Amino acid sequence: MRMFDYILRRLISSLLVILIIAVTLFLIFYMFPSNPAQLSCGKPCSPEQLRRVSAFMGTDQPWYAQLGAYLLGIFAGRTFGTGASAVVCAAPCLGYSFRLNEPVTTLIAERFPVTASIAVGAAVLWIIIGVGTGVLAAVKRNTWVDRLLMALSAIGISSPSYLIGLLAIIVFAFELPVFPSGGYVPFSRNPAGWFSHLLLPWLVLALINAASYTRITRTQMIGEMEQDYIRTERSKGAPESVVVGRHALRNALLPVMTMFGLDLGSLLGGAVLTERVFSMQGLGMLLLDSVTNLDLQVLVGSTLFAAALVIVANLVVDICYSFLDPRVTVGR
Amino acid sequence: MAFHYFFAHRLHGKRGSVRHASVALATLFAATALVLSGCGSRTSQTGIGASPSSSPNTSASATPMKGGTLTVLTSQSSLSLDPATSQSLPTTTTGLVHRRLTTWKISHGKTTVVPDLATTTGTPSDHGAVWTFHLKKGLRFSNGKPITSQDVKWGIERSFSDTFTGGLSYHKQLLAGAANYHGPFSGQQLNSIETPNDSTIIFHLNSPFGAWPWVASLISFAPVPRGDGTQKSYGNHPVTSGPYQVQSNSPGRELVLTRNPYWKASTDSVRKAYPNRIVYRMGQDDTVAAQQIMQGVNGGDTSILGEFVPPAQLAQAQANPQYSQLLVTSGDGALEYIAINTRHIRNLAVRQAILWATDRAGYRTAAGGAIAGNYATTLITPGIAGRQKYDLYHVPTGGDPARARAILKRAHVTVPTLKMVIQQNKTEQASAIQSSLKKAGINVRIQVLDSGVYSDTVTNNQGNYDLTIASWQPDFPDAYANLAPLFSSSMIGNGNQNMSRYSNRAVDALMTQATQTVDQKAAGKLWAQADQRIMHDIPVVPLIYSHNTFIHGSRVAGFDIGNFPAYPDYLTMGLTRD
Repeated sequence: MRMFDYILRRLISSLLVILIIAVTLFLIFYMFPSNPAQLSCGKPCSPEQLRRVSAFMGTDQPWYAQLGAYLLGIFAGRTFGTGASAVVCAAPCLGYSFRLNEPVTTLIAERFPVTASIAVGAAVLWIIIGVGTGVLAAVKRNTWVDRLLMALSAIGISSPSYLIGLLAIIVFAFELPVFPSGGYVPFSRNPAGWFSHLLLPWLVLALINAASYTRITRTQMIGEMEQDYIRTERSKGAPESVVVGRHALRNALLPVMTMFGLDLGSLLGGAVLTERVFSMQGLGMLLLDSVTNLDLQVLVGSTLFAAALVIVANLVVDICYSFLDPRVTVGR
Repeated sequence: MAFHYFFAHRLHGKRGSVRHASVALATLFAATALVLSGCGSRTSQTGIGASPSSSPNTSASATPMKGGTLTVLTSQSSLSLDPATSQSLPTTTTGLVHRRLTTWKISHGKTTVVPDLATTTGTPSDHGAVWTFHLKKGLRFSNGKPITSQDVKWGIERSFSDTFTGGLSYHKQLLAGAANYHGPFSGQQLNSIETPNDSTIIFHLNSPFGAWPWVASLISFAPVPRGDGTQKSYGNHPVTSGPYQVQSNSPGRELVLTRNPYWKASTDSVRKAYPNRIVYRMGQDDTVAAQQIMQGVNGGDTSILGEFVPPAQLAQAQANPQYSQLLVTSGDGALEYIAINTRHIRNLAVRQAILWATDRAGYRTAAGGAIAGNYATTLITPGIAGRQKYDLYHVPTGGDPARARAILKRAHVTVPTLKMVIQQNKTEQASAIQSSLKKAGINVRIQVLDSGVYSDTVTNNQGNYDLTIASWQPDFPDAYANLAPLFSSSMIGNGNQNMSRYSNRAVDALMTQATQTVDQKAAGKLWAQADQRIMHDIPVVPLIYSHNTFIHGSRVAGFDIGNFPAYPDYLTMGLTRD
């Protein structure tokens, strides 16, 4: 019951955060002296035509009215225009893109599998690589293995993903053509194609992200290994694998989990640079496009979605905490 | 809006979107690309430039074969083929799927207007205020239905619907009684378009308009089956009349065009329709795509890049004889110019001083050097009928700051700091202008804006800037489309392109007279007169006629660029045998 209360409270506060984000985005956007209808007016554009387009898109309303219509649309859906050519955006309507002629919900549904494929695959890889190498470095502390891993992780942390991505494409797609150079193939259409197109972005993202996990796992592990309970375990004659794996690692993983939740959550909201360099149209590219095209509804819709993901990931991490560490109880 | 903003997209039939790169991202990518190619060549980010070793305007001489799959790699994330909302050129993507009453034929570098669905380019009556067209026999849509004059009328009427805006709207301001027309979906017809029978269509205009045959070549004049196209998503899978139909269109991934079995080559004098299939791969990173084409891997040999070649790949290709033959550079294309906001800078002496102080050579160097384009002195661009070459002021290409100072001194004016707004891809060029104006004592503050915000700022009603760098290539090769959008007083604000906010009754009257002249030779003379008349007022400083460089795979043939537009002709492209 306590768990249920906790989740409920977290959900309510999350909704509040999302509302604040929506209001802030609208306010920021309306500080520009711009009218997105101008971009949809056609060429040449007459004042009468601009008035019609603004009325159709609803951009002739004051910002609070637009915000109200937007928020209402999430629950009740929206209709733009009238008659046979009216545009219906069914609930939950996160907005409608007049540039892409699609409801934002549809756009997100189309783009999310791309980003999710990149993010989840890469995350699985980087957590395995990162934690594995971190533990190894801690166990082999101050040996050449440790130093080598630390040097490699320094390179990983300081490498921008677009640079590594571009280099990886040049080497593995052009010089040794073993991987495709980019693009996304849906899993449902061709699982093998899906895998082969994603492997390179996964590896690139995983190698870069794993670096910081290596470091944090190592530091945590070293801290844990110096604890009294580890010495006690050892003196009881527990094998080293049990000491490291079951006791030290379990405790060391707590901060790693927090970081992982946040990283995965924000990556699910769009891996902009990776999507761009590997020519994959995920949420990151959608968000970027909406910014450059003054496509407010897409901007707000996809930002809200991304924010919701981070919030959910955070929540999941907090709940997982209690399983990893029984001393931590939710809600306290 | 600047040329780059619209034009890069009009290749594929999409309106008003921008290349998806934020300021930071674009800079990061340019930096990476330069690092990878091991070269520090300075070219503009739009990829303007020429290859000295490639023959101008044309690709490999081999004739394309019938068949094969041609791939177009594009950075765009969606491709809409809706005739009502597209601003696409007749010779690029939408030209493959949509026929119009007339179209463009590019031959030996010259672009002419020729009949397409119609039997002629239009017969004028009532001094050019009424235009009559007859349709060819045996025309069919991709769904097998015959194409009638009512379908053409429906297509045009559809473009008036509030739901389908954003396309080229020249006709909306010319057709009689169209001001209060809201499209055909509520059962109302536009009475100024008459269809007395299935093969005849008659247009009644507000006033005589000599360039109507060119207007009839624009995408809004493509037929849409009567009663069809009510949905906003019609452009994803439209019924087509050209040699190709849409097999699939997945936004963010690919558009596949296959042959339209009902298209007959005997009725079409322009479209060659060589490939069996044309596949557009969307959302491509242009640096990766250019590399793929150069190296011929992953199908790069049968691909073209839908955008300009990015600077690093351009430098890389130019340095390699094997790659440089894949480049094709246009002749003089868009006019790049400084627009002087005449509502802020009302004193002609100040505008004169800006003209004299501007270092066009410095600008061109910043844009990539001689390969970026030729120096401009006229407003009508080369390749447009009626253009007369002139140089009113004979300003040295490096500018003459001393003379600019003298002009200001004589006029007893001190110029406050001027605000120049620019897009992120013009920062180097803007700095060149800033430093040249400084030599004449004119201080300029540069404000860099992201493309969407930029286009809004320079075309909105406020006009909160003193100077901007813009470029313009007309929507069709007629001086009307060249001068009227930039200098007519009716084109100020509301999203229009008169960025100088220039308003001169005498010029307006002259342009109206030229517009209404049906005899195109006589009209050309009036336009040439208007060109010089405008330059007397110096609302703009012409800089260069820019050159665009494109790249195609080694097996792509017929990749030609005429004198207008400065873009490859998609209708005549194909593949060679292995």
